[in-house]
Amino acid sequence: MHATTIRSPQALAPVRKSFVRRNLPYLLIAPSVVMLLALIAYPLLFALKSSFYFWNLQVGPQPLAFVGLDNYVQAINAFDFRAALTNTLILSVVGTATEFSLGLAIALVLLKALPGMNVVRALLILPTTIAPIVVGFLFRYLYDPGGGLVTWVLQSLWLPVPAEGILGSPSTALAAILFVDIWQWTPFFAIVLYASLLAVPDEIIEAARLDRASAWTILMRIKLPLIRRTAIIIVMLRFMQIFNTFDTVLVLTRGGPGTSTRTLGYSLYEQGLVNFNVGLVSAQTWIAVLIVNIIVALYVFFAFRNEEW
Amino acid sequence: MKSRTTFYTALTYAAGLLFLAVFIGPILWFLALAIRSAETAFEMPPQLTFEPTLDAFRHILVDPGTNAPQLVNSLIVAIGAVLLNLPFSVPAAYALSRFKLRGKKNIMLWYLGLLMAPPIAFLIPYFVLITRVGLQGSYLSMVLVLQTLTIPFSVWLMKSFIDEVPAELEEAARVDGARWHTIMWRITLPIVRPGIIVTSMFAFVFAWNNAAFPLVLSSRSTATLPIGTLGYFATSGVTWNYIAAAAVLAMIPPMIIFLVFDRYVVRGLTFGSVKG
Repeated sequence: MHATTIRSPQALAPVRKSFVRRNLPYLLIAPSVVMLLALIAYPLLFALKSSFYFWNLQVGPQPLAFVGLDNYVQAINAFDFRAALTNTLILSVVGTATEFSLGLAIALVLLKALPGMNVVRALLILPTTIAPIVVGFLFRYLYDPGGGLVTWVLQSLWLPVPAEGILGSPSTALAAILFVDIWQWTPFFAIVLYASLLAVPDEIIEAARLDRASAWTILMRIKLPLIRRTAIIIVMLRFMQIFNTFDTVLVLTRGGPGTSTRTLGYSLYEQGLVNFNVGLVSAQTWIAVLIVNIIVALYVFFAFRNEEW
Repeated sequence: MKSRTTFYTALTYAAGLLFLAVFIGPILWFLALAIRSAETAFEMPPQLTFEPTLDAFRHILVDPGTNAPQLVNSLIVAIGAVLLNLPFSVPAAYALSRFKLRGKKNIMLWYLGLLMAPPIAFLIPYFVLITRVGLQGSYLSMVLVLQTLTIPFSVWLMKSFIDEVPAELEEAARVDGARWHTIMWRITLPIVRPGIIVTSMFAFVFAWNNAAFPLVLSSRSTATLPIGTLGYFATSGVTWNYIAAAAVLAMIPPMIIFLVFDRYVVRGLTFGSVKG
């Protein structure tokens, strides 16, 4: 639809539309784009420039020397940065996949629409509403080796709990962080998938049932394809969010023990705001931005190939 | 047949109870931590019964050197971020919804793409920039930087609300000779007022829950609640009931907003791309 689909009588004579009229939509978008460019482009360009210099605020306030690609080489070769990359990918992929599967299972139970289930559905969203940093504290309490609820539940089930606590052992710490994310975000998938599945017309399902299709077939061949677009979008959003996880790690483990729970977000925080190594953290930033952009671009390309907007 | 249905019904309810235990139980347990004495926090096995006390809340809200100012700071920052974002995002959403644009899909994806950048990575440049312009520790610095989250989110969500306003209404006004700005102000925006409120509410939650930006940009006097909870961690001897009490203050507003705007939760969380 355009600003001049229907002309008022006095506009029947050919008039040159004013600059404002011709570019109206762009002028309406411009303020937000300019604002965002100022907030995003400046930091990225600042980081790009800084990444070629040796610059550590603990050493001096200004960049000390141009070092070319040294920071990038140092970042890629650093064992802890590689660990952070690996952990982040594990968290993003395993976390998103688990949250989607569990969320779908919960959504299917909610769809049974028994009396009282809408209360469950309404309350279920609560974990997702809490600030990640607060969720960090919540689980720090639950995981406490001395009297945490999770520790107690595991011990009651005769499951081994490491002596140094769930968060204190390199073998369990990353799984513990993963569990926190799954706890907070599975409800998000459940609620969104439930709402989308609710919109699937009953007639189609009925017709399939009459054709003796199994529940599994109906789910895989009818329900999931129909909510494909929603699934694509929420998986992408969630993946991007986990990839940048920082708050929960800061509170729960500070990336430890060793490098077992180091994530990209935490790594950037530590290099930047604890060690003040501006040059190195800038190189790490660009590596992180490139990786997430490549992954999401590939994903968008393959997922949205056949989608209409 | 009958007994099978009963069995499935029972199974469904059992599953529902399990969901509540797993996803809501921990929250209640944490709420309880805020109203029990510090000594009973780590008893093994966990004690369900205890003498409730509001000592922790009194300590963080009434005693000298409390978190009460942080509660106010959180409100100032989150409300400020929402108000500043409206004049930027509402016109953009209107344009993206109502006009034919070259590259509309790319513009929409660009907004979304901004949410991919690691916020932590921006903190050092922001810190340097904000120190240069002399805004360090100010509310304004946090409100500005939070726009990287609130503008893209609001553009997407607002667009989905404006999309639902029937074009015929605007057509009719246009036939009567109304100009585009009259149509936007007098017709479209009043109709989508509920959408503006919903968008503002969820944007508020995003800003309220953010910890990364205040961590670097706030000063002692402008620290928000999440930073306050971190403060109890840094001091010697972790006082769990104080942490929990401060955390409860931080948890309550988002919870209330999500429960009140239950109808719009799906839409809010998916930036308007899923109607719900």
